[in-house]
Amino acid sequence: MDTTPTMTATEAQRLLDKADRLSRSAHNATRWPYIAFILALGVATSMGTFAMALTAGDAFGLAYVGTLAVVFALLIFFMASIQGRSAFSRSRRWTGYIVSWFIAYAAALAVAIWAHGSVLLAGIASGLVLVVAMICAAREARS
Amino acid sequence: MTALEQHPRHRLDDLLQNPVRFSIVAALDRAGTLGFGEVRDAVEITDSALSKQVSSLESAGYLSVGKSFVGKMPRTSLTLTRLGRSAWAAHLAALREIAGEPNR
Repeated sequence: MDTTPTMTATEAQRLLDKADRLSRSAHNATRWPYIAFILALGVATSMGTFAMALTAGDAFGLAYVGTLAVVFALLIFFMASIQGRSAFSRSRRWTGYIVSWFIAYAAALAVAIWAHGSVLLAGIASGLVLVVAMICAAREARS
Repeated sequence: MTALEQHPRHRLDDLLQNPVRFSIVAALDRAGTLGFGEVRDAVEITDSALSKQVSSLESAGYLSVGKSFVGKMPRTSLTLTRLGRSAWAAHLAALREIAGEPNR
């Protein structure tokens, strides 16, 4: 004998709508600082490494200190805004985003150090930092 | 009706038919990992009710529970496992079939 309770199409649709609503609201309420941070980090480090790769002397110093200052300010914003919703910062997905950004950033720094003055290489490496950060932010926003 | 033409309600996951467990997994679906407080706020239940349902989802292997400390404050994070994600996808597929929606 079939003892499985029946479910109407309306009930099933109501549950599907509820699942979608809950999933979206939980994601939207907790993810905006992460998306804003990775995007801003990508823009700042991309512009910073590009400037560092093409400048010398005082201009290089200004680009270097400016990039560090912006990254430091972004970190303070990030730490403050994820208070109470920091669980995602310990997740594998977030670690993946940060590792991807770091690899691209390290490549752009390598260009600034060993291929100083090369517009083409600096453009490619710094562009890569921006593209990686934008892909991570878009992926998280659309997940 | 033959076994091959079974009604989709038979494919609904027993564990996910509980409304609180359903809501917990729904909240974790997009986010993947959330803090205990974040899930509690999203589902709008008490800590003890959430704790009880999290334990049953954890024993079924649908959730993994992480513990860490920020200073002296304990922090609990909830992550949907691969098993939990596939059970949730199958449950939603059965619901869509009952609702008459095309499966995605």
